[in-house]
Amino acid sequence: MQATTVSRSVDVPARVSSWLRDVWPPLLTFVVVIALWEGAVRLFQIPLYLLPAPSQILETFLARPGYLLRIGLLTFTNALVGCAIGVTLGCLVAALCVRWRVVADGLVPLAVAASAVPIIALSPLMGIWLGSISPASKIAVVAVMTFFPTLVSVYSGLVSPRADALLLMRSYAAPQRVVFSHLRAPAALPFLFSALRVCATLSMIGAVVAEFFGGPQNALGVYIKTQAGILRTREAWAAILVACLYGLAFYVAVVLAERAAMPWKRGR
Amino acid sequence: MMHTAPIIEFDRVSKVYPSGGGPVTALHDVTLSIAAGEFIALIGPSGCGKSTLMRLIGDLEQPSAGTVRVKAKTPEQARRDRDYGIVFQAPVLYEWRTVRKNVELPLEIMGRPAEQRRERAMSLLRMVGLGDFAQAYPHQLSGGMQQRAAIARALSFSPSILLMDEPFGALDEITRERMQVELLSIWAESEPRPTVIFVTHSIPEAVFLADRVVVMSPRPGRVQRIVTIDLPRPRVFETREAPRFFSLVTEVREALRAVDNGR
Repeated sequence: MQATTVSRSVDVPARVSSWLRDVWPPLLTFVVVIALWEGAVRLFQIPLYLLPAPSQILETFLARPGYLLRIGLLTFTNALVGCAIGVTLGCLVAALCVRWRVVADGLVPLAVAASAVPIIALSPLMGIWLGSISPASKIAVVAVMTFFPTLVSVYSGLVSPRADALLLMRSYAAPQRVVFSHLRAPAALPFLFSALRVCATLSMIGAVVAEFFGGPQNALGVYIKTQAGILRTREAWAAILVACLYGLAFYVAVVLAERAAMPWKRGR
Repeated sequence: MMHTAPIIEFDRVSKVYPSGGGPVTALHDVTLSIAAGEFIALIGPSGCGKSTLMRLIGDLEQPSAGTVRVKAKTPEQARRDRDYGIVFQAPVLYEWRTVRKNVELPLEIMGRPAEQRRERAMSLLRMVGLGDFAQAYPHQLSGGMQQRAAIARALSFSPSILLMDEPFGALDEITRERMQVELLSIWAESEPRPTVIFVTHSIPEAVFLADRVVVMSPRPGRVQRIVTIDLPRPRVFETREAPRFFSLVTEVREALRAVDNGR
């Protein structure tokens, strides 16, 4: 205990400094890339319709941040709902696969294959089935996109406990549901979160791209497509910036949830 | 030591595994009787079936022929009655549980009240010298400490039989000798004192710990000889320096050599 108490109290400034050490290299890279972009656009006088400078994009965004964030929120909500449906179904089916291995034998190889397929190509068809303007078709695309990686990852997490860990449960004469709740489910938690990290990114991409094939005028994907279509690239880029912000926020939320849910992984 | 009623009985037990190159006989015609409270070490070269023997007792595997009786029941019934605590070579602690929660795990599954679980876990952790590490996670502990936690977990529900499959096999020699002394004192302190089946590769370890050393021979696995260890208890560090210890080590070694020559 002594060792852990000491490390806990002393490590607060140490942790901040290590966090800074981790953060500044990518931050510096980011700043350098933005500076090169800005410099190149100015130096070579790249026309606005080809590539606006970062400062112009930021200016466009700041001119009406409320509007862009609001249409972004609509798209983000689709991403969130779709992701929630896909991940929940993925977890449920993974649990069924553990209970009935026959299901797993048939389904898991297919799911692995499906994870490698560009599901986004389904977007126009989802539009036909569920209505191209309605959010249902976007949510469906995201749900399908996130379902397969979740299923594959969570299933491998649920079957990850070693033979010894299962024999131990057998020696306690533990019923199957206890083996699931006390061993398989917690063992699958890191796998679930690595799937969630992937899905957070996928779902924002899915929601935006699905809107390229149709959607309400006040949706981010539709806005990007329309603005780019009439060569208003500054506006398109400002909307892309908003998509990035929402995607990043989703990802960070997953990482924070991961840290909160798995205290034993901290400080490793 | 005098013992009365047998707690574990093997009657002409065989175990055959199907395999690609034809069936493999892991155990052949083993008859063995173990008394309640006895400390039994199973020793022999790889493939002699010593782990299989242990697993048959614990109902982790079933015999192909013959019968195993545990407390006059089938091993399966004994397992359902939670007569076994098991310690493997790897500690197999659940990494998402604190050390205390790991020790509480069997009690939690058995539905004991939280307060009682906590008290029992804490007193066991103090007994194995981990009282200060109750809130630590397994990865914060050394290998020897993790194995001590695993022993505490196996003892948490006071099983009448403790099955140990090379529990110190992954530890360094110095830690290993210390753990042997500790195991004996934990065993002596446990009330009621469990019957221990201890699988090992180490001759001095078997002699130091056991009341009887069961020497096994491979292909097919059989009981070659049983060496009774009459070293006085409690056994301490100096026990390993006693002349009688050396002569018993020699006796077990000779029995194992006879196994080799017999092939």
